[in-house]
Amino acid sequence: MSTPSVEGRPLDDAALVERARNGDVNAYEELVQHYQELAFRVAYQVTSNAADAEDAAQEAFVNAYYALGRFRSGAPFRPWLLRIVANEARNRRTSATRRTLLAERAQAAQTSGEAAPSPEAAAEAGEIRSTLLSAMQRLGQEDRLILAYRLFFDLSEAEMAEALDCPRGTVKSRLSRALGRLRALLPADLGKPPSESVNG
Amino acid sequence: MAELRQVSDSELEASLRDAGSRYPYPPTPNLAHAVRARIVLAPAVPATSRRVNVVRPWRLALVAGLVLVFLAGAALLNRGTRDAIAHFFHVRGVVVTKASALPSVSVSSLNLGQPTSLERAQSLVSFIIVVPSQLGPPDAVYVDPSIPGGEVTLAYKPRAGIPLVRQTGLGLLITEVRGDLSPELFLKVAGPDTHVEETSVNGDPAWWLAGHPHVIIVQTTPEDYREERLRLAANTLVWEDESVTLRIESGLSKSDAMDIATHMP
Repeated sequence: MSTPSVEGRPLDDAALVERARNGDVNAYEELVQHYQELAFRVAYQVTSNAADAEDAAQEAFVNAYYALGRFRSGAPFRPWLLRIVANEARNRRTSATRRTLLAERAQAAQTSGEAAPSPEAAAEAGEIRSTLLSAMQRLGQEDRLILAYRLFFDLSEAEMAEALDCPRGTVKSRLSRALGRLRALLPADLGKPPSESVNG
Repeated sequence: MAELRQVSDSELEASLRDAGSRYPYPPTPNLAHAVRARIVLAPAVPATSRRVNVVRPWRLALVAGLVLVFLAGAALLNRGTRDAIAHFFHVRGVVVTKASALPSVSVSSLNLGQPTSLERAQSLVSFIIVVPSQLGPPDAVYVDPSIPGGEVTLAYKPRAGIPLVRQTGLGLLITEVRGDLSPELFLKVAGPDTHVEETSVNGDPAWWLAGHPHVIIVQTTPEDYREERLRLAANTLVWEDESVTLRIESGLSKSDAMDIATHMP
């Protein structure tokens, strides 16, 4: 995915935000067009449900529009928006969604961790990716979100601090803890060469 | 490759980046037009608004009913395919068809027309705009002068007695158009799970479509289709009143929709 870079669009975003603050709906629509994929995918990381992610992203864009009056001029728009998106997504996690997630995670566990793949299959890059993503799904939503911000969406530490509403120094430690928890969810023999697994 | 559990953080991050680049996300929906419509319907200037923390009564999740979407080359629009579908002429301006399955469509555009006032809309259409006496003035008005005779849409937010339609984010939409100028203006395609019923409003012919979403295709000229999809969870009552064809889309039951329709002046 090609995610919009703050560095590449500061002037564009700033100009569009300023126009939107003055009631220019066309300017805001342009911002939505630019960030809707990122917003939807971030929301999906939280909800794991396309309908909820769509609702959350749409609600976040509307709420962000009405909150533009409190947006600090010159600040990066992307992490500010993502904070709103993630909050909306968290709110969408209804009990029904949680039940669905639990079922999906249980299924993922059966097909990845507990039901260990064969050494040959585990040696395949596709299997590794699949297992990593399954492990991601089994993480808590905050761990999943911080990993996705950094590794899927390429947010800088400063952007992550803004999006997660935490001090910049906390980002590294939270990221490290999330990685540790992800690592613990990986099957023991994932990534071993087939012969090593067979013989060892 | 070392066992992933034992690799360094940077190596694990690299593997995750690779996995993330192939993450199986669902297709991104087009949110821009829905967001725009919601903002236009509640046009508070953001710099002075505090609405973000207010629970708005009409939590719009607009994507559908109101989201008119261009179909990108759906086979359904092929004239040969279209003619092969059984259809019925009943209400002028509307053709209702039943299809075994709805076409696959992609979201690309919202087309409500231009937001305007009732007075301005009246000056742009060739019929008398009717406002339901039970509902009072609409929360927003749109006009589309590209439709023969003009098309007007009245939008109402949810309120007591008018439930939120989740797919539209609105309570109720009323569309009015000159059905006599374009007998096949709207092609409504209903799938097998959509209930389609022939009925009448004040003795005039009507259709009641309820249940599952159906697709609307707007035909501007005999060979020129403006393709739109209406992902309705809402129910639709469409009827003819002299030369004007009216459509109510809402979450109301048939009897409630009929009650509004029969009391329209």
